[in-house]
Amino acid sequence: MKAIRLSFWGMVTYLRRDMMLFAACLAPILVGFLFRFVIPLFEDALTDWFHVPTVISPYYGLIDILFAMLSPAMFGFVSVMVTLEENDEKTAKYLFITPLTKHGYLIARFGIPSVFALLVTVVLLPVFKLSPFPFSYIVLLAAGGTLQGIVIVLLILTLSSNKLEGMAVTKLSTLIMFGAAIPFFVKDNVQYVLSPLPSFWIGKAVFENSLFYMLPTFPLLFVWIWALLKQFLRKI
Amino acid sequence: MIQVKNLSFSYTKQPFISDMSFSVSSGEIFGFLGPSGAGKSTLQKVLIGMLTTYQGSAIVNGVECRERTKNFYENIGVDFEFSTMYEKLTAKENLRFFSSLYEKKSRPIEQLLEKAGLEHDADKRVSDYSKGMKARLNFIKALLHDPLLLCLDEPTSGLDPTNSRVMKDMILEEKAKGKTILLTTHNMQDAAELCDRVAFIVGGKICALDSPHKLIMSKGATTVTYTWMENEEHSASCPLDCLSADEQLKRLIAENRLQSIHSSEPTLNDIFMDLTGRTLL
Ligand SMILES: Nc1ncnc2c1ncn2[C@@H]1O[C@H](COP(=O)(O)OP(=O)(O)O)[C@@H](O)[C@H]1O
Ligand SMILES: [Mg+2]
Repeated sequence: MKAIRLSFWGMVTYLRRDMMLFAACLAPILVGFLFRFVIPLFEDALTDWFHVPTVISPYYGLIDILFAMLSPAMFGFVSVMVTLEENDEKTAKYLFITPLTKHGYLIARFGIPSVFALLVTVVLLPVFKLSPFPFSYIVLLAAGGTLQGIVIVLLILTLSSNKLEGMAVTKLSTLIMFGAAIPFFVKDNVQYVLSPLPSFWIGKAVFENSLFYMLPTFPLLFVWIWALLKQFLRKI
Repeated sequence: MIQVKNLSFSYTKQPFISDMSFSVSSGEIFGFLGPSGAGKSTLQKVLIGMLTTYQGSAIVNGVECRERTKNFYENIGVDFEFSTMYEKLTAKENLRFFSSLYEKKSRPIEQLLEKAGLEHDADKRVSDYSKGMKARLNFIKALLHDPLLLCLDEPTSGLDPTNSRVMKDMILEEKAKGKTILLTTHNMQDAAELCDRVAFIVGGKICALDSPHKLIMSKGATTVTYTWMENEEHSASCPLDCLSADEQLKRLIAENRLQSIHSSEPTLNDIFMDLTGRTLL
């Protein structure tokens, strides 16, 4: 326990030396402000300008979904960058043969940040949300976002073998978030092509305003995590 | 301290480490000597619990390696063949962080740095360290938690003579403290100097296992070779233990006509060649 705690704090102090990673940790708050206070102003301006009742507001639900996915993705990205550096420097290998062990390392680098991301999302989403979601939506969106954060992390880790590749692969991996946008923009049944993406069903549930559509999300997330984790554990 | 019985392991389908058995007692320096690719590092990785899919049994400190828990690592110190330091942190920050992971109280960091001759560079980033400095720093990292067993992978390879000497002295100092030390090397001088016993490893198998002294003795006696002038240069040799029977040598000594004389002990390298038909490099 002590080793896990200290190696987690070791990572946090390490972040202070890296402006990019430090900024990534603060991004949820900055983006939250932007979403909550700037977007409605835009909406007012645009509806006035075009003399239409709505421009962006039909997509407020989607913006809220993306916000729920933001903290897990950012914290995950930060942890991945730290782990890839630890992989490059072989410090991870050394940590595995201290009382931290491989298991403790994975908890310190991915378990604790995921729990943090979940808490941060549950706290920030009610503050910054644009739609009148009940609390059940908040919790489910935060949980879905967190698990998807783990999927993104595992995707980056399995597809890259050093920090440089990791940066490149990150852009690709975050694309899986945008499955949530499909139900908003593709009305045709073609949309189901992307139904293997867990985020698709989150988008569907919010778009249709029915939690029933959220059902496939969690089994799908677990399948993704299970398959990627198997690959990843084989690699380390 | 270590009991290995019928140990087999492979990364692939083909057999690699096969049917090894040996034991190492407390306070001993035990060396794995063999050419690169022989499986020395692999064997060490099994013994420190990094590779757990082996067959047979490997017991370290009373614990079967594949069943290790975190406490297993309170008493094992490892120095890999590569540096394992946070390059952006200073030496001191690195040592402080790694020592904090153990339940056991850390050895004084200042003292360890001094032992390795790094006390004036303690606040430099590791990325600014030379290869020799990194090697010394990685070695003292393995000592932080005062483990009973040290596993050193090629501790002297690639070091200049000065750094290599410092490293060997630090190793011997730990032995004097009663630590058990496992080391791998392909340098036979180091093996002969440091190890109480060595195991020759080639192709995943142990070909011989004994003290360097006994291995050398097994090769047979030391020979003496001498030269003298008689129109042209002549040379002859004779086993050291039959020297008094060599009438020609006695005569040459009496007449003070020897040009050169030297004895040659077989080296571990010769023994290694004899037993395995291969050189160490
Ligand atoms: N992780 C690995 N996966 C597959 N093969 C490996 C791995 N690590 C080492 N090997 C192979 O095992 C053999 C022995 O390696 P090693 O134990 O490092 O030898 P040594 O330390 O004696 O030089 C080499 O042929 C190497 O290619
Ligand atoms: Mg090796």
